[in-house]
Amino acid sequence: MGFYVRFWGVRGSIPTPGPRTRRYGGNTSCIEMRSDTTVLIFDAGTGLRELGVSLMRNPPRAGLDLHLFLSHPHWDHIQGFPFFGPAYAKSTTLTVYGSEDNENYQLLSGQMSNAYFPVAFKDLSARIVPKAFENDVVQAGDFVVKRFEQKHPGGSSGFRVEHAGRVAVYATDSELDQLLTDPASPQKTPRSIRRLPTSLITAVKKADLLIADAQYTDEEYPQKVGWGHPRANTVVDLAIQAGVRQLALTHHDPMQSDRDVDAKVLTATERAQAIGAELEIFGAREGVTLRLDRP
Amino acid sequence: MADRRTTTIDEEVPQTMMTRLPASFKPRPRRVHALEQTAGPGSPARHELTADTLVVGRGSAADLRLDSDDISRTHAQLMRQDDEYTVEDLDSRNGVFLNGLQVHAAVLRDGDQVQLGDVVFTYVEGA
Repeated sequence: MGFYVRFWGVRGSIPTPGPRTRRYGGNTSCIEMRSDTTVLIFDAGTGLRELGVSLMRNPPRAGLDLHLFLSHPHWDHIQGFPFFGPAYAKSTTLTVYGSEDNENYQLLSGQMSNAYFPVAFKDLSARIVPKAFENDVVQAGDFVVKRFEQKHPGGSSGFRVEHAGRVAVYATDSELDQLLTDPASPQKTPRSIRRLPTSLITAVKKADLLIADAQYTDEEYPQKVGWGHPRANTVVDLAIQAGVRQLALTHHDPMQSDRDVDAKVLTATERAQAIGAELEIFGAREGVTLRLDRP
Repeated sequence: MADRRTTTIDEEVPQTMMTRLPASFKPRPRRVHALEQTAGPGSPARHELTADTLVVGRGSAADLRLDSDDISRTHAQLMRQDDEYTVEDLDSRNGVFLNGLQVHAAVLRDGDQVQLGDVVFTYVEGA
């Protein structure tokens, strides 16, 4: 019963290709989670294009059956969709999950209006169907996906993904620093753990892997308050409070080079060590696949 | 009075007279990448990656054989796609580590450290 997680896009805000970002990658958000029978996709940033190429190399005879979850419809989370090869294949079934008013589906299709893109959404060959969460839970193939609210301009969703006793949480575009129970604590007592609401800790509780927006360093954040993204160190504190095993820092700021991301990971690791937590931290990187069901 | 002379396309637009490549242009040859072994039995050693697919392991079927009990018979696979290699764990006993992180698979980049058991490689991209 495999549970694989692959990073296809880990950059925040805007694609950032080039030599400065070659190692971690410049594509915007897209994460694949798969079992032996089910493929889930989280966000449709520009990393989605390469995922589509990969999926089309060896499609099953019956066609691809894909499940797409969008954290929110900001551009860097949807702009890969018009270039997603499986959406053009008649044999593909793509379920797009969202709220009961199908807002995500509407906004995903809206970006393919003729003024922006030459192919209209209605002309895509795949069978694309919206599906709503019921009480914030949905069964997608052999996964259970639970949705939770996050703090972001316009709102965003995090997802707790469960499969055969293993848990991955995808939680991007969430300004945790605006949810702190004591908002002044990072300034008053910077070395103390930053406390977060119980509801959020519960959503992330005991995850084998937390993939979390960690866009800013403590030094960068004061100029970015209200932009919808957290300090990486605050994400570390969330992971520690929730008893997470592995933390992938993602949604790297477009201004951050590979060396900057290395430094961010190092600082986060030092913070976890100083607090005395057993937490493995790494920078999410395009092209890396983890297997969560290993012993 | 305005000059009513009719201009032709040839006069208005510089025409390309012939197609030619810049003298220095030539398609780049396929780069040869390598694994430089820095630790474990047999180190130091340099293994140039010339095949599109190769298996690394302790067994006789491996393309790159490593004589260590920490290494499974078929431990990992390297696959080339275009100009880059991906390493993938073949259900090995001790796993594949990329820069210290256990991975199932990873596209490799210059300078990456790949560890299989007690064997450590640095992945070096060719020029």
